[in-house]
Amino acid sequence: MMDNIWLASAVWIGLALASSLISIRLALSVALIEIVVGAFGGNLIGLPLTPWVNYLAGLGAILLTFLAGAEVDMEVVRRNLGASIGIGFVSFLLPYLGCMLAARYVLGWPWPQAQIAGISLSTTSVAVVYAVMVETGLNKTELGKIILAACFVTDLGTVLALGVVFASFTIWLLAFAAATIVVVALLPKAGPRFFALVGQRVSEPQIKFLLLILFALGGFASAVGSEAVLPAYLIGMALAPAFQHDPELPHRMRVIAFAVLTPFYFLKAGSLVEAKALVSGALLIALFLGMKMATKFVGILPLTRYFRFENREGMYTTLLMSTGLTFGSISALYGLTHNIIDQEQYTILLTSVIGSAVVPTVIAQKWFLPKIGLAKQEV
Amino acid sequence: MFKHIVIANDGSEGGLRALTLACDLAKLHHATLHMISVEEIPDVPASIDEVIEIKTEQNHKFHDALVKARAVAKEKGIKLDAEVVAGHTVAAIVAFVKSRNAELLVVGFMGHSALFDRIIGSTADRLVRLAPCPVLVVK
Repeated sequence: MMDNIWLASAVWIGLALASSLISIRLALSVALIEIVVGAFGGNLIGLPLTPWVNYLAGLGAILLTFLAGAEVDMEVVRRNLGASIGIGFVSFLLPYLGCMLAARYVLGWPWPQAQIAGISLSTTSVAVVYAVMVETGLNKTELGKIILAACFVTDLGTVLALGVVFASFTIWLLAFAAATIVVVALLPKAGPRFFALVGQRVSEPQIKFLLLILFALGGFASAVGSEAVLPAYLIGMALAPAFQHDPELPHRMRVIAFAVLTPFYFLKAGSLVEAKALVSGALLIALFLGMKMATKFVGILPLTRYFRFENREGMYTTLLMSTGLTFGSISALYGLTHNIIDQEQYTILLTSVIGSAVVPTVIAQKWFLPKIGLAKQEV
Repeated sequence: MFKHIVIANDGSEGGLRALTLACDLAKLHHATLHMISVEEIPDVPASIDEVIEIKTEQNHKFHDALVKARAVAKEKGIKLDAEVVAGHTVAAIVAFVKSRNAELLVVGFMGHSALFDRIIGSTADRLVRLAPCPVLVVK
């Protein structure tokens, strides 16, 4: 049946639809449900990863990363430069080193595999942090803005690591870096000018223009052994100020991405989870999750003291910065699809990443909610 | 007997029925009526936009619910202290009941699917278990 492209499409989209319905019912993120549904699908019915599925999933990951970059509030980062860069950088570096060294010296994984473990678990989920801050009203306070800005810095660290660590250091890498710098420098002004020139039309020249840049730099990145998500995040960041001024274009891109592209990415990410590795690797999953949280604590908690956060707010910030989902899963899947890690290691890393989306959030909300509690919402 | 009554309104028909009954009870007991509505933000979202989209949708829903609730309370001659918060429904309602020292919580029957009810229980089930005061479930 899976040889029939349309029936195979029906199966994938059917699973995506089921995930959407479950996520609406349970008020949980569709991305998380898609990973879980994908895991069931992959283990129970076997979801074949045809070239077209891989293409759609890859494009989904690029757009996800681009849109994450486009959410960076540069003004907030600029206003809180010291605290956000300090907390954000440490929040990336210590888990990266801690998880990588644990994988290398405790588990005996070779360096490239240990690198993937470090990168996958270095992340912070900006979206999870943002959702919790909306509930508490922290998103409107200076503390909330510092935390959010720090999350952007952590994400940048993860994306840079993924783009640079496995790249081949040749003259072409320099050429790729130069091309990226030129595009990122020109886009903040050239992008909005082009968008205004062509206007919003059914044929979507604005989206095609962005896809052209994403594909071209992504192709360049792949050719030098880097990763297409690196330029995608940087291009998103370059256009973030323009998008915050006019959010209609990224919204249309998001609709396309979440309707037909990211479901393939998240379902694929889930389908590659090996059920038996979940059981046999339970201890390792706990080890990686524990290591990620411990290193985030060692790095971030003292900084929250330095920046004069209250005790409770410091713990809360540290726990929120320990979350991760999208970039963690992208990094683990990168490792698997480039044959750096095997499926068992992938299962362990992805499950640890999912655990890091849930466990720190629950602890933070249950025991360390700042005294302001749930904020009254303006409706 | 009741000085403070809390009505938990999820914006549904059941919530409106519960509000109508709560107004009658508040009038009968000369009690203050407090209303809480809880916006559910997804727990593990993949993007900030996902949060904003759901928050906007919930704002619209509860704006309408608030307008309706105020109209019902006005018609019944009851002053309504209404609040909308974002968070986990059961935890937020229980915290609100405690903060208002309420002696009665009135809720509409907020059912899920039969399977969900059997495995996890409905919101009303959990409120009956966790609220610090008597709970009146209106069907």
